[in-house]
Amino acid sequence: MKRFLLAIIVIGVLGQGVFAQGISLYGYGRTYWGGFVQHDGEYSILQNTLDLRFDHRGMRASFYANPVVYHYPDQDLDILLRQAYLDLHFDSIDIRVGKQQIIWGKADGVFITDILSPKDLREFLLPDFEEIRFGINALKMSYYRGNSTYEFVWMPVFQKGMLPSDTSRWAPRKPGFFAGAEYDYSNAEVEKKFENSQFAFRYSLLASAADIELVAAYVWDELPTNHVYRTIDPETNQITGLTVRPEHHRLGVFGGSFSTTKGGFVIRGEGAYYTGKHFNTTEPAHIGGTVRRDYLHYLAGAEYILWGATVGGQLIQETILNHDDYIMQGRFRNTATFLISKNYRRETINIELFSYYGFDDKDALIRPKITYDFADGFEILAGANIFLGNGTGYFGQFEKNDMIYAKVKYNF
Amino acid sequence: MKTTKLFFTALFSLLFIIPAMAQYDMTALEVVEAAYNRPTGEDMTADLEMVLINRQGDQRVREIKQYGKDFGDVEKTIMFFLTPADVRNTSFMNWSYADGRDDDQWIYLPALKRVRRISGDSKSDYFMGSDFTYDDLGDRHPHDDEHTILRMEEIDGVESYVIESIPKDKNYMYSRTVTWIAKDKWIALKREFHDDRGEYLKTLRVKKYNEIQGYWTVLHSEMENEQRQHRTVMQFKNVEYDTGVSDNMFTERIMTRGL
Repeated sequence: MKRFLLAIIVIGVLGQGVFAQGISLYGYGRTYWGGFVQHDGEYSILQNTLDLRFDHRGMRASFYANPVVYHYPDQDLDILLRQAYLDLHFDSIDIRVGKQQIIWGKADGVFITDILSPKDLREFLLPDFEEIRFGINALKMSYYRGNSTYEFVWMPVFQKGMLPSDTSRWAPRKPGFFAGAEYDYSNAEVEKKFENSQFAFRYSLLASAADIELVAAYVWDELPTNHVYRTIDPETNQITGLTVRPEHHRLGVFGGSFSTTKGGFVIRGEGAYYTGKHFNTTEPAHIGGTVRRDYLHYLAGAEYILWGATVGGQLIQETILNHDDYIMQGRFRNTATFLISKNYRRETINIELFSYYGFDDKDALIRPKITYDFADGFEILAGANIFLGNGTGYFGQFEKNDMIYAKVKYNF
Repeated sequence: MKTTKLFFTALFSLLFIIPAMAQYDMTALEVVEAAYNRPTGEDMTADLEMVLINRQGDQRVREIKQYGKDFGDVEKTIMFFLTPADVRNTSFMNWSYADGRDDDQWIYLPALKRVRRISGDSKSDYFMGSDFTYDDLGDRHPHDDEHTILRMEEIDGVESYVIESIPKDKNYMYSRTVTWIAKDKWIALKREFHDDRGEYLKTLRVKKYNEIQGYWTVLHSEMENEQRQHRTVMQFKNVEYDTGVSDNMFTERIMTRGL
């Protein structure tokens, strides 16, 4: 509580000072309560958030910082700096340096060429779009020519994505043979040195006929591969134990996306080719329990305004090239998303349904929500996350985690 | 008998129809085209304030900074939303083509951190919850409707053509509009809208207009929606023309960077 008060005081003092220097202060406060439906009404989340934005924009230079304070009952405050960067503006070039979120691609709720900002998956895919991504330390240089943008990104330090702890209700299902295995995290970190830098390039065009993005990146896989090693007793030649060694691997990614309109439809596509991706196998004895395969991830989608409602859908496919039967993930994984969203009462009420459907495991995540703008800046939101499936699929594994939630948010 | 009928037809024409046509120095289409082609400068910048007022009198305020530029074959507009707080730093860009094809539109939502192309086909949607549809805010091409001059009428002391416009597209959101166009200034001072069922819907009234840098400019207008018992007050401030707005203003760079 003391830290919370201290944070408020510091913010208050900063707030007094920043206006004098032409820095705008804005952000939001939010209370977010959620409960599981199945687990005897156990709360899934009780969270209070203070999200601040310090923003100064000049002709030649700009500054932006976004500290966020999360408060949970009976826990220490979680204070993070989501973004903090400086911009230098030249005639045809912008340089942004600092911690920043970099979002690429055109897909909704699917990460294909959007691979630079690591994700916070501690609550699966449920956090808001902005909160599911961490900022990364990067230098981004953008060169503009007409309607084209050439963007080069250097990320000197790798930052991994966050996964739920093993005790979390959002911990992903692991293969049976992982049970009882020991974990060795000695290879889990990527050393902070230049040779471990990540690089990425994007070309984007905004034009009447279509918007196009082309992407190339040399990065680290933000999620570790769990290598599995046997311990063998040399005297008996018997397996005496298994060790799981999480390790991040280098990825080469080449891809692109487009968006255009046709007859009232907005049509989108996105795809990427990954080299160096590692996949777990069904046999722990197989070369560390993993194999390296190239991999394709792509989608096609469309959106249309029907009777005042936005209706959209995306078909997504993942393909492992040179697939072998012992690879745990199937050769193909097929998923679809569906969106319907409509505003009522002069955009003060929005009703939305977004859902994922997995064709292979016949599982789904259905996310209805209703948002009411109670007054300018005040927003009340209620929603549900409903998981369907048999407990084995990507979404179905959380079939007992259906939840309902409410958020009250004040933007200032 | 036939001769008698012809005589009366000719007499009726002489007495009523021909004088009715002759009393206007322009056709309805010419009047609408004059309003459509009213000079608006090479470029324009302005601050826009919209006040949305419901039947209880509750008000919501939206503030926007907008830039527009005429490139000849395409007119580009970019808007930056300043308030309310939840839409701050959102930007919207529209490219409207002289050849009549659908507009290209993009929106930048800071929470998503990317520019999204949206359908330019949604002209019947209300703009930011106001009583103005996207189409109301743009210039509807004169050839999209059949126009008739109903009469001449003074409105706030200004002699105006009263024009009835019936859309050629029977699925258009309005079945009929009646517009008071100020003679010589070519500003629409008032417009009544009838919905697609033919029912009276709403009225736009221009409360204030000025000549700025030689261009007649609407500065204050109100749209009152009778059916929804709601109205929107729209005011333009700091209007400037021909300031040399850069071509680069209408790009992804500026949409994401903001003001």
